Amino acid sequence: MSAQSLEIRRSSASVWGSRSGMRTVPTVSKYIDTTTCIGCKACEAACQEWNDQESVATRQTGTYQTLPTLASQYWNLIRFNERDFDGGIIWLMRKDQCMHCDEPGCLVACPAPGAIVQYANGIVDVNPDQCIGCEYCETGCPFDVPRFHATTGKMAKCTLCVDRVSVGLEPACIKACPTGCLQFGTKDDMVAMGTRRVEQLKANGFANATLYDPKGVGGTGVVTVLAHGDHPEWYNLPADPRVPLLVKFWKSVLRPLGVVAIFGAVIGAFAHYTKFGRKEVKGPDERDTNLPDA
Amino acid sequence: MTNGWVDIKNADVILAMGGNPAENHPVGFKWFLEAKKTRNAKLIAVDPRFTRTAAVADLYAPIRPGTDIAFLNGIIRYAIEKNRYHEDYVKIHTNGPYLIGEKFSFQDGLFSGFDPAKGEYDKTAWGYQADEKSQAYGVDPTMQNPRCVFQLLKAHVDRYTPEMVERICGTPKGTFEKVAEIVTSTGNAERVGTITYALGWTQHSTGVQMIRAGATLQLLLGNVGRPGGGMNAFRGHSNIQGATDTGGNTEILPGYLKTPVGTQTNLKEYLETATPTTLNKQAWASMNYWVNYPKFMVSLLKSVWGNAATKENDFGYDWLPKTDGNYSWMYLFDDMYRGSSMRAGGKEPGPEGLVSFGMNPVGLGPNSKKMIAALSKLKWLVIAENVETETASFWKAPTEYGGPDPSKIPTEVFLLPAANFAEKDGTFTNSARWLQWKWKALDPPGQAKADQEILSRMILAVRDLYRKEGGALPDPVLNVSWSYANPVNPDLAEVLKEMSGKAVADIPDPKDKTKVLKTAGQQLDGFGQLQDDGSTLCGNWLHSGVYTEAGNNAQRRSTADPNGLGMFPNWGFSWPANRRVMYNRASADAEGKPWDPKRPGISWNGQKWVGDVPDIKPDSPPGEFGAFIMLPEGVGRLFSPVLNDGPFAEHYEAIEAPIANPLHPNVTSNPASKKFSSDKDTYGKKEDFPIVCTTYRLTEHFHYWTQHQQNGRLNEMQPGFFVEIPEGLAKEKGIANGSQVKVLSARGEIRGVAMVTKRMPELKIDGKPAWQIGFPIHWGFAGAPNHTGPLANMLTPSAMDPNTWTPEYKAFLVKVEKA
Amino acid sequence: MSAATPHRHVDVAVLAARDREDVVVGNEIVRHRRASRLIHWTVAVTFFVSLLTGMAIWAPIFRWMAAVFGGLPASRVIHPWAGVAFFLASAVMFFHWLSEMHFEPQEKGWLGPRIFQYMRYEGDDSQTGKYNGGQKLLFWSASLGALGLMVSGLLMWFPRAFPSILMQLAYILHDVTFILFTVAIVFHIYLGSAAEPGTFGAMTRGTVTRGWARLHHPRWYREVTGEEARRR
Repeated sequence: MSAQSLEIRRSSASVWGSRSGMRTVPTVSKYIDTTTCIGCKACEAACQEWNDQESVATRQTGTYQTLPTLASQYWNLIRFNERDFDGGIIWLMRKDQCMHCDEPGCLVACPAPGAIVQYANGIVDVNPDQCIGCEYCETGCPFDVPRFHATTGKMAKCTLCVDRVSVGLEPACIKACPTGCLQFGTKDDMVAMGTRRVEQLKANGFANATLYDPKGVGGTGVVTVLAHGDHPEWYNLPADPRVPLLVKFWKSVLRPLGVVAIFGAVIGAFAHYTKFGRKEVKGPDERDTNLPDA
Repeated sequence: MTNGWVDIKNADVILAMGGNPAENHPVGFKWFLEAKKTRNAKLIAVDPRFTRTAAVADLYAPIRPGTDIAFLNGIIRYAIEKNRYHEDYVKIHTNGPYLIGEKFSFQDGLFSGFDPAKGEYDKTAWGYQADEKSQAYGVDPTMQNPRCVFQLLKAHVDRYTPEMVERICGTPKGTFEKVAEIVTSTGNAERVGTITYALGWTQHSTGVQMIRAGATLQLLLGNVGRPGGGMNAFRGHSNIQGATDTGGNTEILPGYLKTPVGTQTNLKEYLETATPTTLNKQAWASMNYWVNYPKFMVSLLKSVWGNAATKENDFGYDWLPKTDGNYSWMYLFDDMYRGSSMRAGGKEPGPEGLVSFGMNPVGLGPNSKKMIAALSKLKWLVIAENVETETASFWKAPTEYGGPDPSKIPTEVFLLPAANFAEKDGTFTNSARWLQWKWKALDPPGQAKADQEILSRMILAVRDLYRKEGGALPDPVLNVSWSYANPVNPDLAEVLKEMSGKAVADIPDPKDKTKVLKTAGQQLDGFGQLQDDGSTLCGNWLHSGVYTEAGNNAQRRSTADPNGLGMFPNWGFSWPANRRVMYNRASADAEGKPWDPKRPGISWNGQKWVGDVPDIKPDSPPGEFGAFIMLPEGVGRLFSPVLNDGPFAEHYEAIEAPIANPLHPNVTSNPASKKFSSDKDTYGKKEDFPIVCTTYRLTEHFHYWTQHQQNGRLNEMQPGFFVEIPEGLAKEKGIANGSQVKVLSARGEIRGVAMVTKRMPELKIDGKPAWQIGFPIHWGFAGAPNHTGPLANMLTPSAMDPNTWTPEYKAFLVKVEKA
Repeated sequence: MSAATPHRHVDVAVLAARDREDVVVGNEIVRHRRASRLIHWTVAVTFFVSLLTGMAIWAPIFRWMAAVFGGLPASRVIHPWAGVAFFLASAVMFFHWLSEMHFEPQEKGWLGPRIFQYMRYEGDDSQTGKYNGGQKLLFWSASLGALGLMVSGLLMWFPRAFPSILMQLAYILHDVTFILFTVAIVFHIYLGSAAEPGTFGAMTRGTVTRGWARLHHPRWYREVTGEEARRR
């Protein structure tokens, strides 16, 4: 999954961030226009096919949605939501997958050096060689994306088809999309396209239309056009996703403090010894010389 | 489609009705979205369900299944009342100004000329008013004469007020008026709109009239022939258009030539009946292109019998099968089931065997129990298929299908493994009429063979038997022209060449007799070169030009788009004559100037028509010929005297309907529609089955095929049969989402998972609340393990449209219970 | 033991005595019978396995610890199971020592300044029984810590079964507990070995000298021997 040729912007559990390479690479992004998505699931099939995923046992439970949530061998899922709106109903469809955050919570939470990397182009990828399957990334992710793959014991999620992108192809889901509601390009281009579409939607009566590119995680590598941008939760999107504060506290405050405390304890004990020495029995202690030594 | 897929991007308004293009035509649907994005076009979805099309539409209007004519007539009324129709267009390009004869009338739900005993109309009662002086039609160019088509239409639709539409369709008045306003915003030169439909219109006992109503509206709005306009039928399979073009129906030969009937004993009689007389020879006269019918027919006969077809033997006309009644497959199955042919008054025995290619009648036929019972009476059944379908395994259908015990079924079943679409070359003709060559992707597995090889081997074996043993009627088989390089497995490119047509003798140039247009053996450039003297052969005149001396035009893949309208003239081949928009003469005004200069179809440059391939004589100046060259009157028909159930579309209730027709309760359903009368053809009453039901397809599945996938992705995505039930009905019946329900009709009972949803709106019909439910068709008892399910058609009725004999799959009555 | 053959008869008696606690054998007192020591060391070993595998996962600076167990992935597999073992051992230890670990009224000070006083080798130990307040404090902290580590660890083992906020709290709880635990254990080891000679033997041979007992646990010494602490 990891393409060796790709340069690294950030790497998990690495003290100095382990940036590699010197080239300037534009950040890439997917573009999802939920207002022109027809929920055909071609992206789902393409993802499954390109990544050679094993089949998933599903059953009809009374919904058009393939699975309740993403799965370790199902990285791309259209989420269907129907709701009453404005005297009628709306049926929202959004392609759910890894959002490839600029500040990836998974990477922050990950304890295994190099198991989650952010390439110079912004793609966030799991490197199974390094992954230890601790599942911390699940908690770090504000979008509930990474999944533990029971067979491999590793984490799995959308790679943004880094193998395709690194050789100049678009991701499989984008390639398969029949309507063009999925696009791929530089982040700047995708944002520009999304901004135009949002303006059009606003002119057409969707006053709350937005381009979902949440700043709380530094923006995402998937920008999403939402007609009802005031209610991202209608699309199963968090309103203000951030790397959880406790995860940040844990990694950035508690962990260094803990390291200091543990070393401090060792040094403290040593210092104690140098100052107070031993607490021992004064004079020769009696011992029955008949007793054997232990 | 009169236009094409790509052309939809040129529309200002798209009315998606009687179809669910986002789900069933997702690839073509991109052009809907292109129009929305680039032109800010308005997409309106009118559907019983809030579909995935509705999800991305600008406006959704709910409608009760089977009431589309009331809705469309309501829009027509709105357009006329508010003067929102394209008057200039109607005056020159439609029969709006034409006067109708005095025999025509409409009263109490019946048009004049109805014979109640036969259940049929005498269509001569609907003729035009003859004009004594000109020996042609009476015409009132001002359209004020009360007997002119426009005034008659106005009177006919007058009953379809928004209130009446709401009462019949259940569409709230306000929503309907919004739809009408947007749709009629195209009733002018500046704007243009398209109507797209599919099986949601065709599969009704009034199916053809629904399409008629749509076409009438489009003519009235001046949207036919124009880029971004048209009446656009979305076909249900990749090559169903090609199949229809090539004689896929019992009543037509390739190229929509007519199957001869028994009374037409020689070619001359046949051609005289089939070739229409030019009715309009005045200004805007008809080219009446069908006068070339004899050329098409003789060339077709030459392609079948080659050198054996001579002028002396009527080019083998005698060898063509003639019909003596309705041989559409619904009738064949009725004959099978009864064991006698009803055409002959029950005197002849029914068929003893059936050869079935690429069709699964048990799955797709209505009233599955009857289908199975019918096949159980055959002596033999030959099926060529990719998979063991319900038809191939009908004899082991589960007991609820009511078939006889397998030990009691005499039918010997031969299942021939056939290659699928990706395992053979050939062309697909898409809904846009584009013939596109496809290349084989992989070899068929095992002993599976391409259809043409299976057929060839059958034909050659039968011919050998005739040669050896003789028998009844040997000539058609012995004389068949089978001159392929590999007669056992003809190369489909060779077949395509034959369909496109070639000269079998030198053809002189009509302009200069000393020159030769084509020498013997050369491919023709198009149907314009076909001859009725036996010097050309052509398997399908409409496809003529697909394979010329320049090569296989179906293989062209140029993305050049000279006028920017997405016509791509050098991509594949679009019948007829590589024309991308049909009736494109109507895209220009009386002077030949495009209605909208930004979206020109063709325009007159003083010498000739330029733009798309003109749908008119290329050098005929404006005003000489009418735009609708295939009709004897030369103009588009707001009033169509040829259909079997009336010249205007009229709302009739489905054969099974929850209310009596509010317009005329005594003639509630289509009086000309066809039903069957065997013991298995039962129809439910609204008192017993109060819920309206409809059936449909899903994006994730392909017909009855996906269920056979063992490890494919698609069954994961729609893992089983379900019934969509409105929230209110579910509450009433105590049905929880995901629980089991059973649905019963007069024909049977099926069970499945309840999908409780807001997307099946509760409707007020005739003032009273009414429920509707629906379910997809994609399952049956023959699927792969874990992927089988009930056959939706267990519940559908064997009632039919009187023009196409298409069953009424889309509107019938059921009741729902917790299972 | 090699040179001890002439005293074999004595060996047997001593070994037998060491299965019982709080008995005087010659000049020594049996402080921890074998069962106690086994339990303690089981806890210690499982703790260290958990500690080393866990710390390797916890912070890159301790990743070298994983080498002992064959790398990070192996550590990740071992850690939860070692944790369960540690918890179970701790539970046994808890009930094993529970009756002896109740704070007495005069020991309340150990929760505050007394512990620092103790570290300065000051204060009055004369009423110190078998376990002093610091040891009791460690017992209770370790038991509570084991519980905290287990509960939070269980959540971390099955993260999808719990809401994200609970998971985040679990990580914090696991870390805080482990850090405090480790700091305490550092001092536990330090006091039990380098700082207080004679103590380590209590957990190995199980015995302490009379002098050690008089010094650290005078009241226990009196109870065991029945004699007043002799002053030197």
